[in-house]
Amino acid sequence: MRTRAAILRTPGDWEITELTLDEPGPGEVRIRFGAAGMCHSDEHVRTGDSVVRLPMVGGHEGAGVVEAVGDTVTRVQVGDHVVCSFIPVCGTCRYCATGRQNLCNFGAQMLTGQLKGGGFRFHDDAGEDLGGMCMLGTFAQRAVVAQESCVKIDKDIPFDVAALVGCGVPTGWGTAVYAAGVRPGDTVVIFGAGGVGTNAVQGARYAGARHVIVVDPVEFKRDTALKFGATHVFADADAAQETVVDLTRGQLADHAICTIGRLESSVVTQAAAIVGKGGQVTITSVGRSGDNQIQLAANGAVVGWQRRIQGHIFGMCNPLYDIPRLLRLYREGQLMLDELITHRYRLDEINQGYQDLNDGKLIRGVIIHE
Amino acid sequence: MKTQAAVLWEVGQDWRIEELDLDDPHEGEVLVRLTASGLCHSDEHVRVGDLPFAGYPVIGGHEGAGIVEKVGHNVTTVGEGDHVVLSWVPACGRCSWCANGHQNLCDEGADVAVGLQRDGTARHHVRGHDARLMCLIGTFSPYTTVRESSVIKIKNDIPLDKAALVGCGVTTGWGTAVYGAGVKPGDTVVVLGIGGIGANAIQGARIAGATKILAVDPAEFNREQAKRFGATHTFASAAQAREALPDLTRGQMANSALVTVGVVTGEILVDALSVVGKAGTVALTSLGSVVPSQTAVPLFEITAFQKRIQGALFGNANPRFDVPKLLELYKQGDLLLDELVTRTYTLDQINQGYEDMRAHRNVRGLIRYT
Repeated sequence: MRTRAAILRTPGDWEITELTLDEPGPGEVRIRFGAAGMCHSDEHVRTGDSVVRLPMVGGHEGAGVVEAVGDTVTRVQVGDHVVCSFIPVCGTCRYCATGRQNLCNFGAQMLTGQLKGGGFRFHDDAGEDLGGMCMLGTFAQRAVVAQESCVKIDKDIPFDVAALVGCGVPTGWGTAVYAAGVRPGDTVVIFGAGGVGTNAVQGARYAGARHVIVVDPVEFKRDTALKFGATHVFADADAAQETVVDLTRGQLADHAICTIGRLESSVVTQAAAIVGKGGQVTITSVGRSGDNQIQLAANGAVVGWQRRIQGHIFGMCNPLYDIPRLLRLYREGQLMLDELITHRYRLDEINQGYQDLNDGKLIRGVIIHE
Repeated sequence: MKTQAAVLWEVGQDWRIEELDLDDPHEGEVLVRLTASGLCHSDEHVRVGDLPFAGYPVIGGHEGAGIVEKVGHNVTTVGEGDHVVLSWVPACGRCSWCANGHQNLCDEGADVAVGLQRDGTARHHVRGHDARLMCLIGTFSPYTTVRESSVIKIKNDIPLDKAALVGCGVTTGWGTAVYGAGVKPGDTVVVLGIGGIGANAIQGARIAGATKILAVDPAEFNREQAKRFGATHTFASAAQAREALPDLTRGQMANSALVTVGVVTGEILVDALSVVGKAGTVALTSLGSVVPSQTAVPLFEITAFQKRIQGALFGNANPRFDVPKLLELYKQGDLLLDELVTRTYTLDQINQGYEDMRAHRNVRGLIRYT
């Protein structure tokens, strides 16, 4: 079968091309995507911040319809609507067995896109094999993925919002709810209110935070954050610091959350400075591969004030639990998803989309597949 | 195939050895040749009617280990020749409970007292009747066909007769201390009832770092056994333990009490509440009658001293994580398993085995099939 796809051969721009797609093997399914989210992690691949096996089909946020299933597929059937989880879930490894599906061992090939049966399912006309980003490749109209990557959803959920629940929404929500563990009455400072940070705002608000303070240099993002539940917004950390001192009677914040587009050590230092004794800095963002993004004086900044630095992926969410749960909250009108989408693009507009992302024009951009 | 099984035709009768017609595994099912089966108290609860079954006849036994003989279609986690422990509660790996690290509460566990395969039919037939399986596994037979979700692959270098005990009793006892009560280093722990579960609760408390472990059992044999597994003090009654605790703890009383008696009553729960101090936890593992207890519980004391009653099912453990982990601890010499088995029996001797259990002559009785 042939499929159009946006691929990267080397760091640079996305290339729109036609690929050959294998039939699904044992445990694999073919999905026709309705929509794909344009997440920053793909941009990290494009710029070379994240090092992956190239060439690769981009995209790790997608929702669509199961078109075909291979042998031994039990989780989904042809015709099911699914969200692809950014990390697959085997359900049996030690991490899945202890409620840490976000660390599933099945995800070991996320940066190559190789599937369990071995090899790759996308091939270009020169005969070269391509993996899909996060073992998915949602920047293709169709992809063959492991059944472990699929989470079945109700058919009346629009694909564009469903796609976002495969990565960005749970990552942001979970950053506040699980990774930070925000408690009622807490003061939370969120650095960066893009596609992930905006959902950290929603998560913190749900967890009962008293003050949800957003730091973002882009006015449009600050305005959006206010709609999602931020109580205060600032263009820079210094202004936020002053207000946090006032709001907390000098106790400083309970939590700082780093959800900026590209992690820099200066932001981690600001985040550590804005939380008080026993406070936590939760790091969601990634920076340039090879750089040291945490440069703190352990004595005062970490040990003396008993601060905690917590890294995580996927907001410590369990895909099989949290993806359906977040969609249920959306359906009940409790979680804002439609409002996240700033702009919809066709696949061949993808480079424009990422330009808009870099220009600070988007909370979320979504590709609508034809 | 033809084999044998210990069958309960109705409540109150003895186990009867019958010829068993066993079908091959259907889709998602596994045929296991068992090496050994533990004689656990829960089967006795079924025999006397404390645990009513959806119908009879029932093939008893829910602690077993063996070797996979055959697998049905769509079985992916085990293959022919694999060594496995049968878990008394299935772990599907996909339901919301499994997804959050509560495999002991897997939704498939709803069927443990129904005892049929996932499609509602039976693979076991006795004298022309479909037979149900205790906890979906029915280990009182040298062969059984079970759901894949009941089967946990283990390393091939673990003796399978010892591994059998980890399918229920060992993990239940260990987990009662480690997860149910959450024993911490330096704690004082009272274990009420030292049988197959209590002996392992002592081991769990010891490995979790409890410094004082008080074992309470009216039978001298059981008190002697308790010392082998790590009890530091033994008492014939809870009243005696309660008298000794103020001296042992400078008046603070115990941090937790683990209820692992053969049949729990309201009086025993009240005893357990009386030996823990402020913020103490009572972990309740034992089963009693399904008829609610009429015993008055000291409600004021629970609130005023912030006491907690924590139910514990399978020690609140995750079978796919804890079963292999406990077997590693056994290999390393930290966890005693050999010492648990007081007597071994053939399948024909099963009623003698239960008589010995009721007479407190066994920590654990074990049926060997090889």
